[in-house]
Amino acid sequence: MKLSGCGYLIKEGLKSIWHNRAMSIASVGVLVSCLVLTGAAMVVSYNVSAIVTKVGADNMVNVYLEDDISEVQAVIEIGPKIREIPNVSDALFVSKEEAIADYKDELGQWYDEMTGEGNPLPNAYKVTMSDLSLYDDTVQQLSQIDGIQKISDRRDIASKLTSLNNLVTVIGFWLVVVLGVVSLFIVSNTIRITMYSRRFEISIMKSVGATNTFVRIPFFIEGMTLGFIAGIITSLILFFIYEGVAAVIVNVAEYLVAIPYDTFMLPISAIFIASGMIVGALGSLISMHKYLKIEGGETLGW
Amino acid sequence: MIQFNDVSKTYETNVSESHALKNVNLTINDKEFVFILGASGAGKSTFLKLIMREEIPTKGDIIVDGKSLAKMPRRKVPYLRRRMGIVFQDFRLIEKMTVFDNVAFAMRVIGSPSKKIKKRVLYVLDLVGLKHKAASFPSELSGGEKQRVSLARALVNAPNIIIADEPTGNIDPEMSIEIMTLLSEINKNGTTVLVVTHEHELVQQFGGRVIVLDDGSVVSDSGNLGGAV
Ligand SMILES: Nc1ncnc2c1ncn2[C@@H]1O[C@H](COP(=O)(O)OP(=O)(O)OP(=O)(O)O)[C@@H](O)[C@H]1O
Ligand SMILES: [Mg+2]
Repeated sequence: MKLSGCGYLIKEGLKSIWHNRAMSIASVGVLVSCLVLTGAAMVVSYNVSAIVTKVGADNMVNVYLEDDISEVQAVIEIGPKIREIPNVSDALFVSKEEAIADYKDELGQWYDEMTGEGNPLPNAYKVTMSDLSLYDDTVQQLSQIDGIQKISDRRDIASKLTSLNNLVTVIGFWLVVVLGVVSLFIVSNTIRITMYSRRFEISIMKSVGATNTFVRIPFFIEGMTLGFIAGIITSLILFFIYEGVAAVIVNVAEYLVAIPYDTFMLPISAIFIASGMIVGALGSLISMHKYLKIEGGETLGW
Repeated sequence: MIQFNDVSKTYETNVSESHALKNVNLTINDKEFVFILGASGAGKSTFLKLIMREEIPTKGDIIVDGKSLAKMPRRKVPYLRRRMGIVFQDFRLIEKMTVFDNVAFAMRVIGSPSKKIKKRVLYVLDLVGLKHKAASFPSELSGGEKQRVSLARALVNAPNIIIADEPTGNIDPEMSIEIMTLLSEINKNGTTVLVVTHEHELVQQFGGRVIVLDDGSVVSDSGNLGGAV
């Protein structure tokens, strides 16, 4: 196609967005809702897997000892037993006094009451493993040592997070499918309405020898522009939601540090804009195909 | 040149079929001026639609400038139509566009450069005597003027053939004469002109070849006396 016609066609496409603004706003709205929901699922899943990776790479477990075991017993009897396990590379004894001392600042005036007899914390070992793949076996072996009350297992959190992540992925997938279909439907209907409102012009275009490509381009531009606008709006909305939610989450748990939005802002905005434009383009293709195949192929009322 | 080789067209609907054209054989040479006459339902519009490849023959073939329309792929049809200018009874102007834009539209939608468009549109508007109305809207024009705009639009892409389906059907007799005069001038400049009409007086006044259709068959053809079936 000659380039000269392009400016005209682009202008026509943009004009009809304005001309049809109620439907344009509706389809941008639906597209934005779809993109925000799927985007949120994506971002959550991205964060969760980052946390899972971080937690999963942690080769340390805290082993808490029974209350009735003295510090001396702990160091002399239990320490060597822990170190005997082949996969344990290091076991650092942390007495209950040392443990409570970590909270000194936070406890303030209560600190004195909580030392000595009043100390609620158990003695513990910080155990480091040399091979993470033997993690489960090692935890199992540790738990068989007498005098061990509990093993803090971050893997537990990791596995819970992983199943959450799987859930988010599944929900996210179906969201994309369902909302994608809904968006396509809405966008293609918007374009179809534009087409019907311009059927007279299309009929004249075809009778003077415009190619189908030429007839389609303005509608294609219209669909893609709607998608583009939706992509931009989604990027902005998600940015503000994310900043807000991230701030809340950091307060809940220290290891749930959200990945800063600006580290993935560009790629994710690109994804939103691209998917918006793809849905827009597909939506217009669908309606144009139907239209030109059936009603639009003939000269109106001749 | 347009050749009809044993062309029949049958429209099929769910309930019935109508034989709009039956075994039509004729040749229209370049630069001819042809009237197509016939009662309502005789198949006149169908005849034009087949030439434009708006419809495809049920039987037979039409050859336009050496190309078979039956074998022509869909994507080539636009290029066929660029060599034809069409005028309808109801003008078919776009109300929200000025006279200039209505005519320019036909050039824009086939991708002509805008520089060329301006010059050419003003030239054809001058030809139909409406240069001074370039900025008017169709609603501000008389029927005859609208039809002249429509004719300007048909001419703007410099077609070899002008096809007019009852171009004077919606306008006063004096205006009709004006339109027919324009068409015959266009014809004198070398364009083939096909005009469908009901009005026998116009035919008598302007002469030219006359093809009469009745119930889908060619019953008389003044320019092709030997060949009519
Ligand atoms: N799309 C169609 N579907 C079914 N039948 C059709 C169709 N178009 C035309 N016909 C029938 O074919 C016959 C010829 O129609 P055509 O439009 O060619 O007539 P015409 O000579 O142009 O008539 P008029 O002077 O009323 O315009 C008529 O009987 C008409 O009912
Ligand atoms: Mg007719």
